Amino acid sequence: MVGNNMSKTGHKKYISLYIGIIILLLFPLVLPRFYIYLLSIMLLYGLAATSLNIVLGYGGIFQFHHAVFYGIGAYGTALVLTKTGFSPWLGFIIGPLVSAALSLIMGIICIRLSKLYFGMLQISLGSLIWAIVYRWYSFTGGDDGIHGIPIPELLQSPNGAYYFTLIITIISLWLMYRIIKSPFGSILQGIRDNPVRSEMIGVNVKKHQLLALVIAGFFAGVAGMLFVVVDNTVFPDMMFWTLSLEILIMCLLGGLFSFFGPLLGASVIVALRTFVSTFTVYWALVLGIIMMLVIFFLPNGILGYVDEIIRRKSRTEIVKG
Amino acid sequence: MKRVLLFSMCFICVLGLFLVSPTFGANTIKIGIVDTYTGPATTFTMDVLDGFKMAVEKINAKGGVLGKKIEYTTRDEKFKPDIGLAMAKELILKEKVDLLVGTINSATALAISDFIKKEKVPFFVTFSKSSKINMEKGHRYVFMMNEHTEMAGKAAALVLAKKPYVKYWIAGDDYEYGHAIADGVWNNLKKLKPQVQLLGQTWWKLGEADFTPYITQIVAAKPDFIIVATGGSGMVNFQKAAKATGLSQQIPFYQHTAIEFSTLAPQGLNAPEGVYGTANYLYYYPDTPANRAFVDEFRKKYNRYPRIGALYGYMTAQFIAEGFKKAGKVDREALIKAVEGMSLDSPVGKLEIRTCDHQLTLPMYFGLTKKVGGYNYLIATDITTIPAKDYLPTCEEVKKARK
Amino acid sequence: MDFIYSVISPGVLSQILVGLSRTVILFIVSSGLSLILGVLRIPNVAHGSLYMIGAYMAFSISHVFGGSDMGFWLALVGAPLGVALVSLIAERGLFQYLYEREHLMLLLLTFAVSLVFGDLVKIVWGAEYKSVPVPQVFQGFVLLFGNLPFPRYNTFLLVMGPLVAVALWLIVNKTKIGKISRAAAVDREMVDAVGINVSWVFGMVFVIGCLLAGLGGALVAPTVSVTLGMDHTLIIEAFLIVIMGGLGNIWGALLGALIFGLTQSLGILIWPQFGIIFPYTAVVVVLIFRPTGLLKSTW
Repeated sequence: MVGNNMSKTGHKKYISLYIGIIILLLFPLVLPRFYIYLLSIMLLYGLAATSLNIVLGYGGIFQFHHAVFYGIGAYGTALVLTKTGFSPWLGFIIGPLVSAALSLIMGIICIRLSKLYFGMLQISLGSLIWAIVYRWYSFTGGDDGIHGIPIPELLQSPNGAYYFTLIITIISLWLMYRIIKSPFGSILQGIRDNPVRSEMIGVNVKKHQLLALVIAGFFAGVAGMLFVVVDNTVFPDMMFWTLSLEILIMCLLGGLFSFFGPLLGASVIVALRTFVSTFTVYWALVLGIIMMLVIFFLPNGILGYVDEIIRRKSRTEIVKG
Repeated sequence: MKRVLLFSMCFICVLGLFLVSPTFGANTIKIGIVDTYTGPATTFTMDVLDGFKMAVEKINAKGGVLGKKIEYTTRDEKFKPDIGLAMAKELILKEKVDLLVGTINSATALAISDFIKKEKVPFFVTFSKSSKINMEKGHRYVFMMNEHTEMAGKAAALVLAKKPYVKYWIAGDDYEYGHAIADGVWNNLKKLKPQVQLLGQTWWKLGEADFTPYITQIVAAKPDFIIVATGGSGMVNFQKAAKATGLSQQIPFYQHTAIEFSTLAPQGLNAPEGVYGTANYLYYYPDTPANRAFVDEFRKKYNRYPRIGALYGYMTAQFIAEGFKKAGKVDREALIKAVEGMSLDSPVGKLEIRTCDHQLTLPMYFGLTKKVGGYNYLIATDITTIPAKDYLPTCEEVKKARK
Repeated sequence: MDFIYSVISPGVLSQILVGLSRTVILFIVSSGLSLILGVLRIPNVAHGSLYMIGAYMAFSISHVFGGSDMGFWLALVGAPLGVALVSLIAERGLFQYLYEREHLMLLLLTFAVSLVFGDLVKIVWGAEYKSVPVPQVFQGFVLLFGNLPFPRYNTFLLVMGPLVAVALWLIVNKTKIGKISRAAAVDREMVDAVGINVSWVFGMVFVIGCLLAGLGGALVAPTVSVTLGMDHTLIIEAFLIVIMGGLGNIWGALLGALIFGLTQSLGILIWPQFGIIFPYTAVVVVLIFRPTGLLKSTW
């Protein structure tokens, strides 16, 4: 009986997901161009936030400067497309690979520390990289950034860019989901909850965390690459610490311990940012107040709160039943 | 799972927010303005907006353009190019503005310029100074309503070449604008006066607060003159340091916009004297009826003296209005054709938008800071006016740059 | 003198002195941050905003008195007090309920507060550059080593630094409240059990820490233009210094500020284009070899 129930809920889960994907695929037919562009931005930021969640929510690692990997992924792609004669599709892969490599290197340096210290060292290293990109005007365009990056014609229209972003994001999210649900993911969460115990049962804590960092860095780089496709520009700000905090906020808002939380958080933040700016210049004020409300009343994010309600409801059902 | 369903519903609700957002009135000319209204740059951009507003209100009061009122809406890019670009896209794709105005951030301006070229929407650049905007990367849809670094450099060089200084030092903020303005001045100076020598260069990070170590380094090298390539907040900071270390009395130096009201007003009577600078607008010079009228109107409305941005904003609105009037319809291509080569009266004389590079032909003033009785801040004296035709790049040079 | 010259050039010496005056500001602000982080375990991202508010308040006070010398001295006293008041309100109204929360939440919360403060400054003071004039007494410069100008105001800073350091040391080590807060930093429950109102002590420490940020802002105001965005540049440097020096350790903050300030000014001499790299590299190197900071931390 239990087995039957499981497969039923399993199917239910996937049906709503499939419906969601079909809706997303159909949007370009009904929505005006601007919303399609906005959706693309939401998707790629959602991807970046989800990649952060892998190490932060599921891994318990204080990844305070995630934006570096996002930015380097974008710059990697941009530089390949503008400075080399390689095929752009190759550029799309090189960008995330560079992020992954950087993630590995930074990880090796930082992993010996834990908690706040890890975060601070990462911020220092990240700021160092930002400073280099920012000052190396001849190579990276410095504070001006790089514009008008040439991308394949197929991806130039808003719809083209959207579909590409949607497909890549879906694949990436699926991959990350599989990783989280795999034994590796369970071990990672075990390390988060009790690193000492994990060590004692023979888990190589550092190696696992390092691998998680590389995965997170890679997918952040993918998000950066998608930004290049959607907006054809890169700026040093993409790896500035304020963006790292913004991505953190997206995770927090959506729910750090749920898989889709960061994606939701990213969508809300992007939507609010665009929407609120049509009313007032004081977007920072609004964001700050929202953040405070979330921290006080929804510490597990929106989806965390939703989860709680559902759990409470099912508990009362059990009691009633 | 319920969660995913709930999540997708949230997602759609969030999108639905947009259906509720404000849009323009029906029968109006819609202008979108993207600029930085956060951080130090605001001291300039508020004037651009206020000048623009003043002109638009005047025009609307007289019945608008072709029977339609001009409506505008602003977006704050917070000096971040990715936000600026996103805002520009929102204004064009969602709000469906007729044209775009902005911004002080050259990186944003370049990114937006790239986008509007594809969308074929006119874009009037009000405060970005990168020469790439209408030279290397210039095109039909972008209009340059302020001076760029190549121009400013040449104007300064024209005056400096006539001065006796030979041994130069270059110093400045280490970012694109700093290097561009220094190159602009130096390359032109070298052409006009081949015997000048560059003893060395000093570049500090943008936002540097303490210039003393750099100043001591420069003084030790004993140049005759220093070209200081600072922008934004660096202007005031450097002048303060120059005064504190006595540099301004030891070695003369030049900064673009050193004599501008935005730089001198915040310092009151404590600004250093004897600093050379260039500026496109001074509210007290020339003391023509046209300028006085503009200043009085601005003061009455905003209770302060207009700074350079006010002129840019004011003239941008005028050209847009007159352009549509001449075109006879609210059509983007017609506007471009009408505005090219158009010449209008302004507080500083007749200004034209050149056809070959859509550059506004502003005059440049070169002067020296000095304490003059009757003012609570320093003003520019010994002013040399450099007419546009002398310091703008020639159309051939522009064509060559765009190749 | 000649002997010194043969070892280090006057340019380098003057550079060191300038680096030191920068150190003073960094130290004053960082010590406050270190105090709050060490005793209250709050990573106060809003510290940079308080520094900025200190500078703006100094401007306002100075402005009210027409930019006179008296205005400056009043501002030097009034601005830190004003910031202390703001922080008191924030602490009583908000932070005192959060002392037991996780660090991540606290970090994000103080970040939210910094966003709010940043925009509040824009609303209250507007967007223009503000300038605080240097008082007459400190205007001009002294000529060091023959012909290198060194602003008099910087010498004032070089004097203030050690004064503040000593004052802080006295408060932390010699006063009752200092001893209690040091104890509470290590074991809060114990202090509570002994009957001391820990919440009140924490509040005091928080206010003192923020007052230091305001003082830093007021001191720096005459040398720079007071603008929005001052908070962002400073907060990252302050955090790095605190981590480098050891959380909660005042002398650590001093050491960290010294290293940061000096590598910054000397780095510029060595490699002007990438001078900014040196302080960050120094932090990275220190953290690799001594992850908990150079000096003992209270964590």
